[in-house]
Amino acid sequence: MEYNILDSIDLNDPAIYKSFTERYFSKRYLLNVNGIKNNDIMLMFHSNRITLICLAPSHFFFKKNDNYTLNFNIGKVDRLSNQVKGKGKKGGQALFPDSAICKVEWGDKTAFTIPCGMRGTLVEINEKLVKYPQLLKESPDSDGFIAIMLSSIAITDATKKELITHEEYLKIVNV
Amino acid sequence: MNPKAVYKYCKHLGCCEACCLRYMGIKNPNAYENVANFVLKYQDEVDKPMRVIEQSQNIASKITDTKENLFDVSIREDLNNSNGNSLDINGADRKISNGDSDTNPPPSKRRKLDICVSCLGVLQEDNWMEGYVLVKDILFKKRYECATFACALSAPITTLLRERAITLRLADEFPGYDDKILTALKEAWKWSFGVKLATEINKTLDSGAISPLLITLNYDYADDLQELEILKQVSPQLFEERSKQKRRFVTEFTRRSVEQALQNASLQSLRAAGGGLACAGARAMCVGAVCTHAPNYLAGRYIKLSRHLPQSPWILEGKRVLPSSVQEIIYKPLADLYNLAAEQADGRLKLIAAGREDVDVRCLGEGRPFAIEITDPTRQLTPEELASACEHISKSGEVIVKQIVPITREDLIQLKKGEETKSKTYEAICIKLSHSKYDDVSPDSPIKVTPEDLARINSFRNTARNTKDTENNIENSKSICNISGGIKDTTDNLDNCESMHQDDKDTSGVPLRSPDNFGTVKEPNSQDVKDATDILDNSTPLKVKLADNPDNPNDDKNNEIDLSVNVLEIKNRETDAESDIVDTLKSDQNVLDSPDSSRDFLDTSVEVRESENRNNCEDIRIMIQQKTPIRVLHRRPLLTRTRHILELKAVEVPDHPQLFRMFVRTSAGTYVKEWAHGELGRSRPSLGDVLGAKVDMLALDVTAVHLQWPPQ
Ligand SMILES: [Zn+2]
Repeated sequence: MEYNILDSIDLNDPAIYKSFTERYFSKRYLLNVNGIKNNDIMLMFHSNRITLICLAPSHFFFKKNDNYTLNFNIGKVDRLSNQVKGKGKKGGQALFPDSAICKVEWGDKTAFTIPCGMRGTLVEINEKLVKYPQLLKESPDSDGFIAIMLSSIAITDATKKELITHEEYLKIVNV
Repeated sequence: MNPKAVYKYCKHLGCCEACCLRYMGIKNPNAYENVANFVLKYQDEVDKPMRVIEQSQNIASKITDTKENLFDVSIREDLNNSNGNSLDINGADRKISNGDSDTNPPPSKRRKLDICVSCLGVLQEDNWMEGYVLVKDILFKKRYECATFACALSAPITTLLRERAITLRLADEFPGYDDKILTALKEAWKWSFGVKLATEINKTLDSGAISPLLITLNYDYADDLQELEILKQVSPQLFEERSKQKRRFVTEFTRRSVEQALQNASLQSLRAAGGGLACAGARAMCVGAVCTHAPNYLAGRYIKLSRHLPQSPWILEGKRVLPSSVQEIIYKPLADLYNLAAEQADGRLKLIAAGREDVDVRCLGEGRPFAIEITDPTRQLTPEELASACEHISKSGEVIVKQIVPITREDLIQLKKGEETKSKTYEAICIKLSHSKYDDVSPDSPIKVTPEDLARINSFRNTARNTKDTENNIENSKSICNISGGIKDTTDNLDNCESMHQDDKDTSGVPLRSPDNFGTVKEPNSQDVKDATDILDNSTPLKVKLADNPDNPNDDKNNEIDLSVNVLEIKNRETDAESDIVDTLKSDQNVLDSPDSSRDFLDTSVEVRESENRNNCEDIRIMIQQKTPIRVLHRRPLLTRTRHILELKAVEVPDHPQLFRMFVRTSAGTYVKEWAHGELGRSRPSLGDVLGAKVDMLALDVTAVHLQWPPQ
């Protein structure tokens, strides 16, 4: 018996070509956060309470052509020193919707902070951004994600309902 | 110490014949089996059963004569009150009246015994019928085929108190009496009741270590807890402590707590508390029998043909996500053979597999090793029945099991160990989603998998070649050859596989071999070495220093348990000097030949330095660092683990220029999907990193789980 792998999938089915983030995550958007125009955040919700914090493509960040660095020192806390233990992710920094996850510092000495948009526990900072900040610009919805957080089912469900869906977002930004 | 005197004394206290033998330290099973005959030699002429009345009078008068304490009087009073046969205060009369009531007994009925003050009737044959009935009833319902049995006794706890009360008296009466000679109640019970039970149920009595069928009889004694109350006086602080921690000790009197309380009890303290030998109001009753058969274990390998089939039922928020599972398909015919209803099957059958694949991953080749544990089986399934079970499973069309064989519990160790240590081979269809950074093409041109891409994948390594294990390298290379040969022409490959299959069967005696010849892990000194050609040797090995710095995943995931480290081997590898790392970095840049692209590999090289080589008996081509995948991150700790790509081969897919077919063998616990797409850079260096392009996986099959199973 032969079970050819090529016969086992339908190469014409667009579903098999979904990207990694399309497969596992559903995207939600926060626009004009803190009343700042195009301070737009994208949260990618995994079905398992894990959420990725990313910049939305409409963020003003993408319009500016200047060098930048990312600063994960927020006030008294260093996001890069975040450590989680065990299955419960004990010891992870507590995040609130307004908490800054990192600061983008432009070459012209101006800066802006990226809020995390939801309550939860910080699990992991995308440390690659420290060495390769260009990832934030090049692939904001994949390798350039900013952080991984873990929330309760109640919070993730409520936030997901509250926020703008991907379809709604496409309509809004295309106007 | 005169045995006869001990016998007499115990008799006077109110022990049955068997208990007398126990206190005398008799350990001969036959003595208990034929207790009436055996005790004759300890009885005075006057005591022999022929002269029951005199004997009773004799004892009664002795008890009256001794009048040693209030306690003994209370025995007789209690007996009289509860027995109902006599209202006479005089104990002697009670016995006489008993005898009287038996003046015209049916020939088979023996003289009704009084309740033994020690065993409370457990060893007294007249009381055994109810036990037989209970056991026969259960055996009739369950119908175990097992020809042997072991039996266990759950006696009233107060028998412990009573034993202590008697041994303390014996020690008082017979200086030098050692209570360690006491034959345990459960032993005497096995030798007497157990032997009779064997003939009643027509099975051979065996020890629990030998027979898988265990029959436990529970005896209830109405005053059990009440009698134990005196221990609160004997050992007050023990029970005070326990009552303070009531949440921990649901019941105050357990065998353990009673044993503890009795440890330091003296005859004086017992007597002060009431004696511990209160007269039994009613005998202990056999109120329950429990029969359990030790689990049976079956072994096989399952082939999973569906991309919509989880290993175990997939239920989300109380609702089924998919209608079936490998587990349920395998359970069905076994449950039918054991006459288990569907709901029962879940509790009585347990699937133990060497890892698991994702819902959308097929498991081909020889299949994945598994075992089934059957709790409390009534019998062993016959080879014919097992063959029919395989047939039923395979009829599902989604799962194939070619063979199921009985195994022992010990064999499971191999299964678990294999899951943690054995490599797995996969086949995948991958897609190139962007131009490779090495591609020299216009950004608008169609994305194609180029021969250079394939060559890059097929030659990539980030480790030093393991030259110390040539056999393994050659063996691995041979496997790769088989794959590459098979890809050029699938039909030819199929034919080759069939013949290889036959060859393997003949030479190794392994009944099942995977078509790709990965199925069985061969010994390094395999005879096949001479056939091998090494096609891997076209890459320039990058030198890396390997430090023995064991990261401890401390993970709950079954297939991610650490391998043991061969320290010697690591030390051998450590001889690379620190300066080599610099070479590595330079070499990285040369090989990758693009300043911006080298970043991941630079990182990786540094991380590889820190990692260790745990799979030291194999040639490791690529060391990877994998963070706990996001899809399981909610329930597993966040850790970065070193995993190994042991073999890797990519070939083109005709008519699909963007796709390539990949064969990869990984160490246990490697997340191969995440390795392919890199999971947002959390798994490095990924297949995409090797190619310098975005890569994803469209389909994945496990083609071999390299574990010899079922055991031979
Ligand atoms: Zn007894």
